[in-house]
Amino acid sequence: MAFEPREEQTKLKYQELRIYSDEELNNYTEDELKSFKVKHNIPDLDELEKGPWPSFVADSKREALRRHKLPEDRMMIKPEVVEDMLGQLQLSFDHGETHWKHGGIVGVFGYGGGVIGRYSDMQDTFPSIAHFHTMRVNQPASKFYDTDYLRTICDLWEYRGSGMMNMHGSTGDIIFLGTFTEQLEPIFFELGHVLQQDLGGSGSNLRTPSCCIGKARCEWSCYDTQEMCYELTHFYQDELHRPAFPYKFKFKFDGCPNGCVASIARSDMSFIGNWRDDIRIDQAAVKAYMGGEIAPNGGAHAGRDWGKFDIQKEVIDLCPTSCMWMEGDTLKIDDKECTRCMHCINVMPQALRPGKDTGVSLLFGAKAPILEGAQMSVLTIPFMKTEPPYDNVKEVVEKVWDWWMEEGKNRERLGELIQRYGIPKFLEVLEIPPMPQMVTAPRANPYIFWKEEDVEGGWDRSIDDYRSRHAR
Amino acid sequence: MEDLKKAIMDYAESSKKTKFYFSDLEKAVKKVKPDAKAREVKKAATALINEEKLIYFSTGSSTMYGMKGRGQTEDH
Repeated sequence: MAFEPREEQTKLKYQELRIYSDEELNNYTEDELKSFKVKHNIPDLDELEKGPWPSFVADSKREALRRHKLPEDRMMIKPEVVEDMLGQLQLSFDHGETHWKHGGIVGVFGYGGGVIGRYSDMQDTFPSIAHFHTMRVNQPASKFYDTDYLRTICDLWEYRGSGMMNMHGSTGDIIFLGTFTEQLEPIFFELGHVLQQDLGGSGSNLRTPSCCIGKARCEWSCYDTQEMCYELTHFYQDELHRPAFPYKFKFKFDGCPNGCVASIARSDMSFIGNWRDDIRIDQAAVKAYMGGEIAPNGGAHAGRDWGKFDIQKEVIDLCPTSCMWMEGDTLKIDDKECTRCMHCINVMPQALRPGKDTGVSLLFGAKAPILEGAQMSVLTIPFMKTEPPYDNVKEVVEKVWDWWMEEGKNRERLGELIQRYGIPKFLEVLEIPPMPQMVTAPRANPYIFWKEEDVEGGWDRSIDDYRSRHAR
Repeated sequence: MEDLKKAIMDYAESSKKTKFYFSDLEKAVKKVKPDAKAREVKKAATALINEEKLIYFSTGSSTMYGMKGRGQTEDH
């Protein structure tokens, strides 16, 4: 089905929107860069430039030099912002403590997220970074954009911000690093009204939903990750921009169990594409892999001779549930034992494909370590068919949010709430029965805690009937 | 809506704190209107933000509500 945007989209044309000329964007030579010294002494940062890896210090110096050479009236905040940022960072290394003050009440009108206040506590020494607010820009689904878009946002940020940005933050947003309070509304206006671009989530909000490349380029995607990401981003605008949750909440969408956006580790609600029929096998292609006619792993690892492909050693023996075997030269799979590790499919993509009856598995509760340490999402709904507008998914989302908003403590993530109450309570909230797929290991606790409603007659039942058969 | 907004402002004005979690606002409203739903409280709080009586305060990771003019200002 062709993509239908919620509102008419205009093709951005950089030549019409650009702020800087080519000469201004290429205003220094490599020789000038070599001899350029930032205004502060930064020996430890200079050290970071050494070694084989790209360095943010090298990039920052380029940006510092460009701003140094641009006329001052071509930027709305001070040209020295990059140099002062480097200077303050050096000072933080010297002192062993940060000189940033984090948080505050800055934002754009009506939004509770998307802007994170940051200030220097050394404003006399580094006046150009007295304010250094971060803006989060909601990335397009799968981070697809063209150079017109990229150049336009780069010009905007050079003009109204520091020119420094992260591509991308951990949640996926494009991060604009460092501007003054008075620039926030003009940037927001430009983003919203000209670039048709929203801010992302921060604080106790739904954070910017993020998805893998999905059906756009990947044959394994079991559902349209981009479409679901787009739909839920639009449907939950209020949750994205007006915070009322106990803490952050993240959706991430993986098209298949390879998990290219690592939703299982990084989101409170992980959507992972799955199938409920059998892995499709092309036995002729299996033979071609075994015979060396097709390179395994899609031709990856080709820089070295790893010897002849051995299906037994490289695929069958590595299956975590031992559900594969050869009968003569035919590959067999006991699909009901498959745990969707994806290894066999990854090694022999032309021979093995996910099934055709596809949908999504829902997992809940991943988070990075703050309170209880890092935890992965728990498989809760093994399989669900998904079709736009995803009403069945939204129903689950809202049950979870209602419970978490009611019972969650301040700054308690969903995963911690599930841990505190236990999975049985969570299943009650979702109104689903326990299922074998939710069990990761046999129980180690021999006790069963009955609930009154699970016992016929309840706690106050008459035991006369029992006594009629069993003498005291 | 107006009674919810009033309950929020009564709480915000009488509190010694300058910032409140959403759950603080919700509890305060429920003392006055026990059957109020979280979503209604949120709508009322959002209306107060739009009227510039309340403000958001964000650390970046979590967000609180504050009263305009009390506690921290935009210059800090």
